Amino acid sequence: MSEASRAHPRYFLLQLRSNSRISPLAASRRLSLAAGIFGTSILALLAILALAPQTLAPYDPTEIIGKPLQPPGGKFPLGTNDIGQDLLSELIWGTRNSLFIGLIVALIAIAIGTVAGLISGFTSGPVSKLFLRLVDLTLVLPFLPLIILISAYMGPGQRNIILVLSLVSWAAPARLIRSGVLSIKNEAYIEATRALGGSWLRLLVSHVLPGVRSIVLVQFVLVASASILAEASLSFLGLGDVSAKSWGAMLYFARASGAFLGDSWRWWVLPTGLMITLAVLSLVLIGYSLENTKSER
Amino acid sequence: MSGKQFLRRAFEYVLTFFAAISINFFLPKAMPGDPLALIAGDAIRQMGSEKITELRQAYGLDLPLGQQYLVYLGNLLRGELGYSYRYSGGQSVLEVILDRLGWTLLLVVASLILATLIGSTLGAWAAWHRGQARDLGLLTILFTLRSMPPFWLAMIIIPLFAIRWQLFPSGDSYSIPRPVGIQGFLDVLHHAILPILVLTLAYIPTAFAIMRSAMLSVLRADFIRTARAKGLRERDVRLRHAMRNAILPLITLVTLDFGQMLGGVTLIETVFNYRGIGSMMYEAVKSRDYPLLQGGFLIFTLGVLVINLMTDWLYPYLDPRLKETRA
Repeated sequence: MSEASRAHPRYFLLQLRSNSRISPLAASRRLSLAAGIFGTSILALLAILALAPQTLAPYDPTEIIGKPLQPPGGKFPLGTNDIGQDLLSELIWGTRNSLFIGLIVALIAIAIGTVAGLISGFTSGPVSKLFLRLVDLTLVLPFLPLIILISAYMGPGQRNIILVLSLVSWAAPARLIRSGVLSIKNEAYIEATRALGGSWLRLLVSHVLPGVRSIVLVQFVLVASASILAEASLSFLGLGDVSAKSWGAMLYFARASGAFLGDSWRWWVLPTGLMITLAVLSLVLIGYSLENTKSER
Repeated sequence: MSGKQFLRRAFEYVLTFFAAISINFFLPKAMPGDPLALIAGDAIRQMGSEKITELRQAYGLDLPLGQQYLVYLGNLLRGELGYSYRYSGGQSVLEVILDRLGWTLLLVVASLILATLIGSTLGAWAAWHRGQARDLGLLTILFTLRSMPPFWLAMIIIPLFAIRWQLFPSGDSYSIPRPVGIQGFLDVLHHAILPILVLTLAYIPTAFAIMRSAMLSVLRADFIRTARAKGLRERDVRLRHAMRNAILPLITLVTLDFGQMLGGVTLIETVFNYRGIGSMMYEAVKSRDYPLLQGGFLIFTLGVLVINLMTDWLYPYLDPRLKETRA
């Protein structure tokens, strides 16, 4: 070690550096705020596309309106697909499908996960143990192969995709909500309510549930983002509803027709994947923002 | 880890594998329709009722459910995973899987190692510069990378690297005819580079996020302040004090997450037409080859469990505190 490194001024500087926590913290607070604003704006734009595709899309995406595999330009801003449907219209209609699946799966999975998490965190009977075992099992089984296997048996279709994704997505939220419940279970205000003789259900709904609300919110957003990715993956493998317009299905047809090997990857594959990325990213950013504001309180 | 703990862990793994087997058995039974159709495929429509009864007996479908389950378990113990009806040339599911396992292992092992090295180095670097422009920049880039579907990355990389620039082959595991000797080895490597690149990109954000947060919490610890107060060089503080302690949570979390991400190889192999278990799953989906699908699911479950078991075994060597309690 050199002499200089042992000298006092340097040590002092290091002290200064490690004590100047304000600036990195402020920066990360600014980052999480920016992430929240950016994520919410993207999501809002996507929501507009999802709510009014009939007025925003130039064509009916199910109608054959031109020659197949046309490059962008003229009547078709993004060109046409392998059977002559307008790619931009498909892209816009696909937004509705993806956001819908993300929302529904998150609602179902979080509902199950919250009930399971509350019960297994608050009680210690056989029901609680059973939930815990189920959570561990669901978490350790390989996600993608499991949903591929189940959806292959159930057959293609949007309802089946929602069912399969909900079936495997509740476990991680349940585990986190359970640990949230465990950490507030013995707080004074909970014990006080219990001592006052409040009913078990009331205690859960009006005291424990608000305590884990932020975990529930963050998990809702993260399950939604993971489901959008998973739906795209399943549709890409041909396990989705092939007649429905979805981003995953668009990529499936781009691959099946071999078109992506030519020039058309630039207007067929690239925008479709960017839409998936934007949808997932917006939710991930919102989740990150929610999580960081929570931990500062 | 004590011997008792280890036994408990091993028991849990056996239980999990058992559950996966049970899913395989009960899933087809829970579905509507004739289970024979799930085994014999569409061929059943051309069969007479005598042939169907005969097959039903041959597959034991006329037995009570409990008994069928026992037969199924017995077959599994003997390594019989059934017969694929795509590979009707008499190849069993086990043979198909063993044929393809090596290719998947090549991709997965290489990309896991690369992603852990790159991702955790970046993560540690970001943590050292917490809140600065480079940290925020890296965070942004890796959040975006994390949101991209890996199979889509592959569909962009192929037209660029394989078609336009002709640097790498666009798919398959080797050239046909297959070169021999050192040429063959280089050929395999040449074909593996793009899939490994995509998988590495897909795994990096996980390793990055874990290392960054582990490093941040270690850097707040008292012994780091002590090390700095001793006047150690910043490099020594970072590498020998902080890094060593951040590696423990890294290993646990990375293996848990990677176990889950193992399945992602299915999509990548599919895009590259790579000859591994993943593209086998895809082909099985396309032809509704249920025995093959079930075999694929089992082998992936086994992979997750093996990774977890390896972590349990590796942990005491990395954390001497655990080694002492084992004795």
